[in-house]
Amino acid sequence: MPTRTTDDDARLDETFGALASATRRAILAHLAQGAATVGELAEPLEFSLPTISKHLKVLERAGLVRRGRQAQYRPCELDPTPLREVAAWADRQRTTWEASFDRLEQRLASLQAKQEGDRR
Amino acid sequence: MTEQTDATNAVVIDRTFNAPLALVWRMWTDADAFASWYGPTGASIPFAEFDVRVGGHRRLCMEVTTPDGPMRMWFGGEYREVEQPNRLVYSELTTDENGTASDDSHTTEVRVELSEVANGTRVVMTHAGIPSDSPGAMGWQMAFDKLAAVLSA
Repeated sequence: MPTRTTDDDARLDETFGALASATRRAILAHLAQGAATVGELAEPLEFSLPTISKHLKVLERAGLVRRGRQAQYRPCELDPTPLREVAAWADRQRTTWEASFDRLEQRLASLQAKQEGDRR
Repeated sequence: MTEQTDATNAVVIDRTFNAPLALVWRMWTDADAFASWYGPTGASIPFAEFDVRVGGHRRLCMEVTTPDGPMRMWFGGEYREVEQPNRLVYSELTTDENGTASDDSHTTEVRVELSEVANGTRVVMTHAGIPSDSPGAMGWQMAFDKLAAVLSA
């Protein structure tokens, strides 16, 4: 069901793309517990630092992760803003589907009323 | 923010209609019948063509009124599961009027489950927004359960 503007779609695509990876979702889930360094993220996931860094870049580009300024540690932080946009998108879909279902209900009622009438 | 949306990025609507199962199935699978109810308030469906079988295509045009006049949007997709009269799954994406996917289009999936209940037909519709062919789509819900806590903070 459509609701669209191109900018929104482009951002949603970026968010969906960033989320379409089990590793990146695991990183986000980890960051949902609090900020962490690349090393802290790599350890429980058993990935190399370069692999984690590569995934972090994708998440950063999508605006889902912010990196700190401290040169040595650069802790990573979750930014839930794009996720809220995804949720808002889902809310818009819900509204339009609800309206459709209301119409389906009316349509079914009138079709059946007509059938009843024909039978009499 | 509602639980459903932040946990799964899917819209789930569960409603029971006071109508027989076969009729509700037809409302979803017959193009003219579908066009009579589908779409947001104020929209109309001037064109719909459904080839309801697995791998069959669906095309739909929706017309909405904007301040600049009427605007037409085209949608395409294909049927992924067809189990009359209980289960229908189709993909959906935005296209141009020739059916070519838009550059910025992402594919969503609509699943419709119909069942006979005492007072009519129960419809559970799930519209999943994540590109359904993307790798790792399955882990989605788990990750989001954890993230939901952050979102609601």
